[in-house]
Amino acid sequence: MELVIALGMNGIVWGLIIALIALGLSIIFGLLDIINIAHGDFFMVGTVLAWFVFDTTGNYWLAFAIVPILGFAIGAVIEYTVIQPIKNAAALSIVATFGLSIILQESVRATFGATPARLTAPIEETVPLFGLEYEVYRLFAALLSIAAIGCFFLFLHRTKLGTWMRAVRFDPETATAMGIPARRVYMVTFAIGFAMASLGGVVAGPITTVDFQAGVDILPFCFMAVIIGGLGNLEGTVAAAVMLAFFEGVMASFVDPTLARIGSLCLMSAVLLVRPHGIFSGSTR
Amino acid sequence: MTAAAINRLGFVVVALLTLTAPWFLPLLVDSFWVDIYAEMLIWSLLAASVNLLFGYVGLLSFGQALFFGMGMYGVAIGVAKLGLGFWPAFGLGVVMATAMALVAGALAVRLTWHYFAIITVVFSLIFYFAALSWKPLTGGDDGLSFTMPPIVSIGEWELSLTDPTVQYYFIIAIVGICYALMGVILKSPLGSAFRAVKENDHRAALIGLNVYLIRLTAFVIAGFIAGVAGALFAFFGRYASASYMFYHVSGEAVVWAIIGGAGTLLGPIVGTSLLIILREELSHAWEHYLILVGVIVILVVIFAPKGLGGLWQALVRRIARPETPPPSTDAKGEDKP
Repeated sequence: MELVIALGMNGIVWGLIIALIALGLSIIFGLLDIINIAHGDFFMVGTVLAWFVFDTTGNYWLAFAIVPILGFAIGAVIEYTVIQPIKNAAALSIVATFGLSIILQESVRATFGATPARLTAPIEETVPLFGLEYEVYRLFAALLSIAAIGCFFLFLHRTKLGTWMRAVRFDPETATAMGIPARRVYMVTFAIGFAMASLGGVVAGPITTVDFQAGVDILPFCFMAVIIGGLGNLEGTVAAAVMLAFFEGVMASFVDPTLARIGSLCLMSAVLLVRPHGIFSGSTR
Repeated sequence: MTAAAINRLGFVVVALLTLTAPWFLPLLVDSFWVDIYAEMLIWSLLAASVNLLFGYVGLLSFGQALFFGMGMYGVAIGVAKLGLGFWPAFGLGVVMATAMALVAGALAVRLTWHYFAIITVVFSLIFYFAALSWKPLTGGDDGLSFTMPPIVSIGEWELSLTDPTVQYYFIIAIVGICYALMGVILKSPLGSAFRAVKENDHRAALIGLNVYLIRLTAFVIAGFIAGVAGALFAFFGRYASASYMFYHVSGEAVVWAIIGGAGTLLGPIVGTSLLIILREELSHAWEHYLILVGVIVILVVIFAPKGLGGLWQALVRRIARPETPPPSTDAKGEDKP
């Protein structure tokens, strides 16, 4: 029973981090119609940047501030050089971001190296929780993810830029006619997407390993959260990510992790086939 | 010359070069390029299966590696575990891939576009993880190797892929048959139905086409092609491994197909060849050559959005004599790609 609780809670924590990353994917997907194959690598770049920050300064907390800013800057540059020339071509975006994914992975392999590394959590204490000793860092990671997701929704609904993003998404031509600088909004959206994925990388760094291939494993999971939550339904993405990871965590306490992964994939295909527009799509829409 | 004549000439030249490659490649460069050329042709079949679905029916499959892997495992399990001969194992691989495509397709083609892409990834991941965990049968991460059975043996004499020349001609024969098959299908009424569904599935349904059945047919044919590619690759490498079923392999096939030019029959060969030649040439020069590959992929997409096949067609149109005199009223009609 303790194993079920522990793995279930790990699942929720992991699901919240995935939700943060998948939200970035979802806004890039929804606003720019870019199928971003490199999104997992944005996350991976986040973990590696965090490793470099820790390696040079010896303080992991700094990474939480520095890495998202770096991610934002890298994202803006990528949007300007790679994404803008192929705007409005979803099939081409797959190929272009695949190229981007190769470049990011290989650059990391060239600088950081091919051997995975482990980061030690900045908080090493444990607390008694539901009858087991639970790592404080994981609780912190969950809270930070929730806070970041909350900030993102506030930004989207309470600021001018956020309103612009929603307007451009709804109708780019009218938005441009109303004087909204759509091109800049695209750039900021992509940059925010990268920043969120890299923040996810910093948060997850001490929980997983730092590895140039880490993005490859996480990418399908993020896409599934976006699709199952319903395309364009950001709250749905968050809920789907947490539910999927929780389900997989609980499954993993009964069978081996690979079988748990197969189980959650089967669940996902069932959901996709029965409710292709997401589990939260009402029957009225 | 007309555009069609130039294309025909180009095709004949490439076909002649392919047939004579075992003689001139060792003279020009190195004999190991014969093997690489054979490998390119095998991989191009996987890209062709993506192209058949995406370029002609409008379905973007991110799971073709599943059928490639089925073809591989059919051959490897057939030879190593069941003790089958060459042709029964080859048949087992292709039948497994095609059957898998029928089952997966029956579910997947109910969805389109993003949803279709995701469900094909999900299906291929399920079997990737299954192959990883079912070690006694599949060998998991290490893969499953086998010794090559002869193609035919009559008494003392036998024909086997262990002879590099036999292997090369066997591969180009099978790959050639697959491309000829696709060419025939795409020229047939079924091919027109594919294009009708791609252009507008509602209209296609209104003129009486069964859109579901047409998509499923295309999916099964694509699965068959990918399965043949996988079976060939298993014989080529004498082993099968779960890593070839991972979604990254499917993604590479999508990239090759689009770089080569989606919706052109021979585009996948061009795209696959370009990227494999780049890999072979650059990997000696620089350890991190993949960075350059990524840059080239992005540049091709930005500057040649219709792929290299599209570039070729534009070039041909520029040097070719127009086939029919242009109508005087209409300034410039939309050229067919």
